[in-house]
Amino acid sequence: MSVKNSIDLDTDPRSIIGTRVFEAPRELVFAAFTDPKHLAAWWGPDGFSLTTHSFDFRPGGIWRFVMHGPDGRDYQNRVTYDEIVPPERLVYSHGGGDDVEPVQFTQTLTFAALDNGRTRPPGTACSRRPKRARA
Amino acid sequence: MTPADRLSTTFAALSDPTRRAILARLALGETSVSELAKPFDVSLPAISKHLKVLERAGLITRGRDAQMRPCKIEVKALQEADGWLEEYRRLWEQRLDRLDDYLQTLKAEAKKATPKETKGERKK
Repeated sequence: MSVKNSIDLDTDPRSIIGTRVFEAPRELVFAAFTDPKHLAAWWGPDGFSLTTHSFDFRPGGIWRFVMHGPDGRDYQNRVTYDEIVPPERLVYSHGGGDDVEPVQFTQTLTFAALDNGRTRPPGTACSRRPKRARA
Repeated sequence: MTPADRLSTTFAALSDPTRRAILARLALGETSVSELAKPFDVSLPAISKHLKVLERAGLITRGRDAQMRPCKIEVKALQEADGWLEEYRRLWEQRLDRLDDYLQTLKAEAKKATPKETKGERKK
């Protein structure tokens, strides 16, 4: 039986590497990660809704969004795109600002095409790293 | 200490293989310092130092008996660390579940819109 989900903690001790198989073409999965209209439909977390304030999809560009919690609290978020290679690779950093949630991590998504229009991962390699100095 | 500070102390205390080995031993039951030191190639004072770090982080407690001062593992701090990790695990699992559902919706919509083009994806 094929595994839909897996987590690898050994390859790189500073990263959490997750793998997920989707029954969808790679271009579609990539689009779901790179279009704010799509992102609002699934980003969550469960019970949350999402409003995008700005979306500048290019290397160095920033996605500013608010996650509206079920308790009525708003969570300010900022994602900076580090690397964009459609439809196979996406690297972004989360955090970096006093006005956003204090959650700092870098995430590398690798989109690999499998047979029959399936997509593996987004291999989600998410490594926390020390806060970078801000000017 | 705020919960975040407590987590920092916990993870700092766990960031040493000797201290993790001590915790693994204590998970089997409480024991004395000299007993704890036995499998390690380090001095008793060095072990005592490790125990102090673990104690400050709330990962162990020490008995009152002046001679023995047996060490005991405290699971609460470990549970907090595990809970912190679990949140991220759950967050991404649920997130990718939602993405999965959403992709199926998109696929169904695309099929409805252009019923004849679904098989023509591969062109050379």
